Amino acid sequence: MTRLLVADDSETVLLMLQRRLEATGYEVSTATDGVQVVEAIESIDGGAAPDVILLDAMMPNLSGVDALKKIRAEGCEIPVLIISAHLDAQEPERMIAIGASGVVPKPFEWDELISRIEELT
Amino acid sequence: MNFNPSLTARLRIGFLILFTLLLAVSLIGVGRLFQIRVDFEDDTSRYFQLELEAERLNSSFVLEQSAIMPVASGGPPDAREFNAAADVFDGSADRASSLTEGDTEIARRLRRLTASEGEWREAVAAPRLRGRAPPASLERRLTRRVSASAEELGTSVRSARDEVRDDARTDTRDTTILVAFGLAGALLAALILFSGLINSMRAPLARLVDGARRLAGGDLETRVEVGGPVEIATLGQAFNEMATSLERDARERDRIERMKDDFVLTVSHELRTPVTVVKGFAEMLTSESKGLSASQLEAADIIADSAGQLQKMINDLLDLARSDAGKLRIDAEPTAVKPLAQRVGRHMRPNFEEKAQQLTVSVEKDVPDVEADSDRIAQVLSNLLSNANKYAQEGAQVRLNAQQVGRRVEFAVIDDGPGLEPEELEHVFERFWRAQSGETQAVGGTGLGLAIAKSLVDLHGGSISADSKPGKGATFRFVLPIASDSEGRPPAEQPGNGRPSAAETPA
Repeated sequence: MTRLLVADDSETVLLMLQRRLEATGYEVSTATDGVQVVEAIESIDGGAAPDVILLDAMMPNLSGVDALKKIRAEGCEIPVLIISAHLDAQEPERMIAIGASGVVPKPFEWDELISRIEELT
Repeated sequence: MNFNPSLTARLRIGFLILFTLLLAVSLIGVGRLFQIRVDFEDDTSRYFQLELEAERLNSSFVLEQSAIMPVASGGPPDAREFNAAADVFDGSADRASSLTEGDTEIARRLRRLTASEGEWREAVAAPRLRGRAPPASLERRLTRRVSASAEELGTSVRSARDEVRDDARTDTRDTTILVAFGLAGALLAALILFSGLINSMRAPLARLVDGARRLAGGDLETRVEVGGPVEIATLGQAFNEMATSLERDARERDRIERMKDDFVLTVSHELRTPVTVVKGFAEMLTSESKGLSASQLEAADIIADSAGQLQKMINDLLDLARSDAGKLRIDAEPTAVKPLAQRVGRHMRPNFEEKAQQLTVSVEKDVPDVEADSDRIAQVLSNLLSNANKYAQEGAQVRLNAQQVGRRVEFAVIDDGPGLEPEELEHVFERFWRAQSGETQAVGGTGLGLAIAKSLVDLHGGSISADSKPGKGATFRFVLPIASDSEGRPPAEQPGNGRPSAAETPA
């Protein structure tokens, strides 16, 4: 079963994503900021690592963008999809430049989200 | 001292100085001419009298001579006649002497005459009156001397008179020239004065004109240097006050605009999160329908639909707010027209099938690539097609055409729906505006689609327009620039001759 780590600072969005992704057939773990994401990656230590990470670009404490930079700096190679509400034309290039596999716009087009995840697994 | 008289004061001073100068020059000139005339008349009459006296002296001397030597009668000298003539001579000499004032030459001649006549009287007349003849040579010499003196006096007086006349002429001419120069000088001074007055206005007026132009051009920080006559300086101050007020208003307006943009951006963004959740859960419910009753499923469907509409509206609002704030960016690159048009057609087809409408996408053969952000142009085309789909009746014909027009590619969405009234056409691109006619009132939508389409087309450097007649359908056209590296048909060739023929894809 494909494992996902999903991070969003909104509890309800996170819950919705978790429920829907689980209903679609993924195994989902969650984080509410970048710090938790980094901690989760650091604590894998041979355990069950996620196959894809979904990171909200803007989160308190440590943003998704900064968390991405940090885990890439620590040698983590897991594909990351950045979820961005402020999507402009240049954003995908910028995100890919810092190590993202792609960007999905928020609010979600569910089918698009699923197909982007499928591409990475 | 800061002496800055008003325009009126300057004009008054100018006119006063001019008037005074002209009056002074005229008075001096006229006075001088009058004086010359008076002097001339005085001198002339004096010399006439002198001449008269000179004649009289001459004639009385002749009478004296004939009194002592009566040639005609041959009789003895007539002492009585001589004395009468001598009295006339002396009287004339006295009168003449009183008339020679300041005229030394004539005075000298007169003195010589009286002296020589006195000598003649003594040496010639006196012996003769006593009956003795003086020596003939002496008598001849003295007599000739008196006659010559009298002759010289007459000549002197006449020449003096001529001189006076010549002098008067010269003086009159000189004075006339002087007055003419004086008048010209006064006018020149006035001219300099007035040109100075005009110059003192010109620079500040030019600054005002320049300032007004810059202000009209949008440079609200424009202020003019206040200067010139009081009236112009006041105008300059008023101009600066107006500019300050305009600038303050514009800044306030900008601030409010920014607040509004920020507000819309923030609100839309904050609305997204709950809408995302509502839509997400509603979709989840509809997709895993087991355990739900038919009415619950219907409710979940309606919630998902409404959330979808709400989400679309929020996206539209965000796009417009970003566009207003100058934050809406497009990523324009050479884009093929045909795949883009077909993609949008494919995407929209289900909506048309639902209303049994026929959608035809036709792209002209060899239409060049456009310089465009394909996602954004797809959004424009969807908005236009979505309107045609919503407003046209069931079974209507809708066409999406694309063809080259000059150095641009024209996209047109044509329907045979109810069309728009002329007054409605004026407003179609305004945000939140929606067709008001009874027939179309039931149509849903945010009224933002065309406003966004216009913003996006404008951002591409293109233009969008609407054309319609009530009952005859509507046509929305927009043009986009051809990509610079695209091999377009030469623009010289007349566009629109060949009807779009390729890629006909009826729904």
